[in-house]
Amino acid sequence: MGWIREPIPVTAKPKVGIYGFTGCAGDQLIIIHTEDEILNLFDSVDLQSFVMASSNPVEGDLDVAFIEGSISTEEEKEHILDIRRRAKILVAIGNCAVAGGPQAMYTGDEKYQARLQNVYGDVKFITNPLEAKPIDAYVKVDYYLPGCPIEQKHAYALISRLIHGAIPEPYPHPVCHECKLNENHCLLLDNRLCLGPVTAGGCGSVCPTHGLGCVGCWGPSDDGNFKQHFKLLESYGITREEIMRRIRNYGGHKILKYLENI
Amino acid sequence: MIVEKRKMSKKVIKIEPLARVEGHGGIKVEIDENKIKNVEVQILEGPRLFEELVIGKTPEEDLSIVPRICAICNLSHKYAAQRGLEKALGIEIPQITQEYRHLTHHGEIIESHSLHLYFLALPDFLGYDNAVAMADKYGDVVIKALQMKKFGNKIMRLMGGRMVHGENPVLGGFNKLPNKKDLIVIKEEAEELLPFAIETIDILAELEIEDHMERKTQFLCCKPPHEGYDYYGDILLTSDGKEHPVEDYKNVIKERVVSHSFAKRSTYNGSSFTVGAIARVILLQDRLKGKAKQAFDKLFNERWYRNPLYNNFAQAIEQVVSLEGIISVVDELLKSEQPMIAKQSRDTGEGTGAVEAPRGTLIHSYKIKVGKTAAADFITPTAMFLDDIEAFIRTGGENLLAKNDVENLELKFEMIARAYDPCISCSAHLVEVVYK
Repeated sequence: MGWIREPIPVTAKPKVGIYGFTGCAGDQLIIIHTEDEILNLFDSVDLQSFVMASSNPVEGDLDVAFIEGSISTEEEKEHILDIRRRAKILVAIGNCAVAGGPQAMYTGDEKYQARLQNVYGDVKFITNPLEAKPIDAYVKVDYYLPGCPIEQKHAYALISRLIHGAIPEPYPHPVCHECKLNENHCLLLDNRLCLGPVTAGGCGSVCPTHGLGCVGCWGPSDDGNFKQHFKLLESYGITREEIMRRIRNYGGHKILKYLENI
Repeated sequence: MIVEKRKMSKKVIKIEPLARVEGHGGIKVEIDENKIKNVEVQILEGPRLFEELVIGKTPEEDLSIVPRICAICNLSHKYAAQRGLEKALGIEIPQITQEYRHLTHHGEIIESHSLHLYFLALPDFLGYDNAVAMADKYGDVVIKALQMKKFGNKIMRLMGGRMVHGENPVLGGFNKLPNKKDLIVIKEEAEELLPFAIETIDILAELEIEDHMERKTQFLCCKPPHEGYDYYGDILLTSDGKEHPVEDYKNVIKERVVSHSFAKRSTYNGSSFTVGAIARVILLQDRLKGKAKQAFDKLFNERWYRNPLYNNFAQAIEQVVSLEGIISVVDELLKSEQPMIAKQSRDTGEGTGAVEAPRGTLIHSYKIKVGKTAAADFITPTAMFLDDIEAFIRTGGENLLAKNDVENLELKFEMIARAYDPCISCSAHLVEVVYK
């Protein structure tokens, strides 16, 4: 995944658009739910389009576009191409935009049409449905903010940097890293299924902190040693089939490249 | 908003995007010879096929995956899934665990209702594009509304594990329960916010509500399993006075597919119906007590039966219900020992769970075979009330055209849709995979 390392200049009061494609709207909701920051955000940027929060959007040139959700219809594909043409900086926010989300868990099995048929029968829709893909399957993404949903402190750190024309800092740590900082008892020591070592961190290791194995909802960690971790889980008597099924629940498209050599 | 004038007499009003609702949708209204020819609430968000996604997963995975249908009511999805899956697996939870679930659900009702009422609907009534723009004149209301929303989120974080998509609620209970200190803080905050919730009732009592769309409709909600007001139950209550066991939901709510929407559509007795706060307050009004009953007496009138804009009023009443509910449930929890997680007694079975999500009745039905999901069916509130939104827009449009009152038609139509607090993400993957 690319991460632009040159600052991209923006206007003094940058024009910002926040868009939702196919997903649960949780990432936009996290922005709306920053009760302490939302008034500041509306104040410090020129918010052109945020349909979930405000009427009468203006669709013109943008300094920064934040995109939630996967691309799942022809109409959405056209829309993301249009936003990319208008935006200097484009950020994918949340697992669905970054990796494809849970709706992309069966990517590549070539049974999408069959699933669609099972659900809707032969109905012809106003826009053609497409198998869910992340944003960078169609356009260049400048920055990625993973999460299911995103975390406020990461989101606002990135937003603040971008609207001041600075380079946002990547967060390359897995869930395990945060779990150690929280001084949790490691669930792997109890032979329990936990995807923390191979999952992108940022959630504050919330599940292990509640005594639950990480479900992997932030998607794969770039530095994860998948091969070794699968071996460890198998040594607990967990089948390869089960491990693969679970890692794909939230792995979307991006997980495929990590599973190639296993 | 685009108004296309084709001929003088022919006109298509397209409202897209439908703003201040969750998810991607629009409204298309065709007018011919000054008559409404067609109304379509279009759901343009792509399908996600959740009921297909969960096939072959363990119930534990189902419980993690299905709340991702919708962020705003993620814990309602978790709750409905718990109720369905626990029936399927023979899990019986102790009453005290149910009390913790009440607390959790009150939190979600407050989070969702305060977001909708103050931030998504009130700007319409007061004439603004968004709630932040209201802050100059209504600063105090906006600040307190943010506090209310934050309080709902705080409970969701405390009980769910995080604000959205928390994994802490599990089959049979909660993995981690809050300590007494946290519970006391929650109770104190609910007491602190109650006066603002009541002030909100007074603000709404002053509003003039338009009547152009008024028509008779039907209502449906869950019947609580006790004497009080609540947001779940195993019986579906309808405004014709009938009660239906939730297992029978397919015979009660008839679904169909339409081409302009990835959400399926539903009818009861062959016609459209309404679910949500207004349906609950109408059907469960005799169960209201305390300050919520006073709020009801202040706001309720006969027009509620015909006018969906009163859904916003019903949400304000439910804010009072839930704040009072939190105070009494915390008292109950402080007296009790923490419950253990209840265990399953079988790995094969069927179960249907129903809860009242903030925006209406939500049904999850599962078939589990040897520990894996064999079939699943979800019916969300938005799928239930989309037909009724279209019917109210049609009536409103016809009446307004007859009076030649065509200024701001778009806004008036949008307000009808927004009153329902539709959740387009929820509706965008309503699917059925129970093969017969």
